[in-house]
Amino acid sequence: MSKILVIDTATKNIYLSLVIDGVEKQSVFQEGINNHSVTIIPFLDEMLKKESVELKEIDEIIIGIGPGSYTGVRIGVTVAKMIGYMNATKVKTISSLALIASASEKEFVIPYVDARRGNAFLAAFRQVNGKLEYIEFDMMRNVEEYLRTWKFDYDFISEGHPKIQKILNSDLLETVDNVNDLQPNYLRITEAERNKNEDKN
Amino acid sequence: MYVLGVETSCDETSVSIVKDGKEVLSNEVLSQIDIHKEYGGVVPEIASREHIKGITFVFDKAIRDAGIGFDDIDLIAVTEGPGLIGSLLIGVNAAKTISLNYHIPIIGVHHITGHIYASNIENDMQFPLIALVVSGGHTELILMKEHFSFEKLGETQDDAVGEAYDKVARVLGLPYPGGPVVDKLSRQGIDKYHFPRPMIDTDDFNFSFSGLKSHVINLHHNMIQRNEHINAPDFCRSFQEAVTDVLVRKTIKAKEKYEVKQIVVAGGVAANSGLREKMRSSIQDIPVYFPKMAYCTDNAAMIAVAGYFKYLKQKKYDDLMLNGSSRLKMDEGEL
Ligand SMILES: [Zn+2]
Repeated sequence: MSKILVIDTATKNIYLSLVIDGVEKQSVFQEGINNHSVTIIPFLDEMLKKESVELKEIDEIIIGIGPGSYTGVRIGVTVAKMIGYMNATKVKTISSLALIASASEKEFVIPYVDARRGNAFLAAFRQVNGKLEYIEFDMMRNVEEYLRTWKFDYDFISEGHPKIQKILNSDLLETVDNVNDLQPNYLRITEAERNKNEDKN
Repeated sequence: MYVLGVETSCDETSVSIVKDGKEVLSNEVLSQIDIHKEYGGVVPEIASREHIKGITFVFDKAIRDAGIGFDDIDLIAVTEGPGLIGSLLIGVNAAKTISLNYHIPIIGVHHITGHIYASNIENDMQFPLIALVVSGGHTELILMKEHFSFEKLGETQDDAVGEAYDKVARVLGLPYPGGPVVDKLSRQGIDKYHFPRPMIDTDDFNFSFSGLKSHVINLHHNMIQRNEHINAPDFCRSFQEAVTDVLVRKTIKAKEKYEVKQIVVAGGVAANSGLREKMRSSIQDIPVYFPKMAYCTDNAAMIAVAGYFKYLKQKKYDDLMLNGSSRLKMDEGEL
């Protein structure tokens, strides 16, 4: 039996999924209530109990590493990192934008997470026969400017219950060689670092 | 009873294993001080990023040093606040993950109770006692009548002591963190300026350091304007004498009023040599305990010890909804 645990906390929604032998047996997709730090472990506990699975028995973790909310994404990554470390569980990463994109049925999908001042973390995907592929990798852009470059009919979405099967069937997962190195994909250095660099130049 | 302590409230990632609230089997601390130095203070987002980078490494080192396995741990104690929220959440969620994985009970600990309990590692507490908690974020006088009972007698009305130290250091062009540097320089200087001792004679147990800080900064500014030579050691000594006079005087007042059996000085500023000397020379009828340096600054051993005594007193655990809180307050009998 293979047991895969999926975790994503990079947006205001929390997404958890337990896939056993290729079938999503349990999933949690809670919208809007940004209290992942309170709920993630109780939700995990509940899902595992329902399937009578121990956390130690998980064979693989798929973790959404952002981009998205810095504080939010760290909660899921901390949990995934600790599980991977304690149990020597195999860990794979996925873009949190790819998880959002998987919720759409449109051929062209632009998932985004608001990054304020008209900016967003976004990427562009194409899906043919249910297979999700990047057209443009995760980036931070001004939304209006970016969308103006688009000619095709597309789905521009920031949330949706991920369809985990699409992610499992994709080539978008990346294996983490050493779990100690796992960290979020922030896409941006901190404001303090930016200011320091500007001072230098 | 083996307690696993986890502390990530500011810029130190720390994990410790302590047996029976006393015997420190390991106390791993990954400090970010060199990173934040470049910014003249702790940058919260950078602190969070560093915590998550180092978290498993620190757990691994602490477990290995202690020579035990996660399975042997009886209780997990984690700092739930106060502190930087992004930093706190990493420790809290790491701790909750271990709790779920190994079915080990968990208990949230107030950071300041940790600082106070650091003292118990080397010297058993005797009640009643007065704890003077002095750090970059706190200046408080606390009365403890028994284990895990805290009564706040007074606190700073503005800047914390450590904060005042950092600001004075910055004005003098000294590197961050300012406390240890000011302390060191003050040993070569004299109390030339005799700065004011704010609130030293008030009837309460409160403190105020922002006026003193401004006084130091203004004098420095005026001397620069007049092209006068600035003698940093004298500035440091004068400032340190003023601060420690107030801290010692108020502590003595509390000691006499509550007829306590011991004094505990806790928090990062407890490492200050001027404070140590003055406290010891001014109070000789009862013991004054300062934790050793490694337990003065933020560390997880103190959190494990506090968690142990909190559990003994309250006989209950937290559940998996436990969360971090940046402004965790005093509640009934507990900080
Ligand atoms: Zn502290």
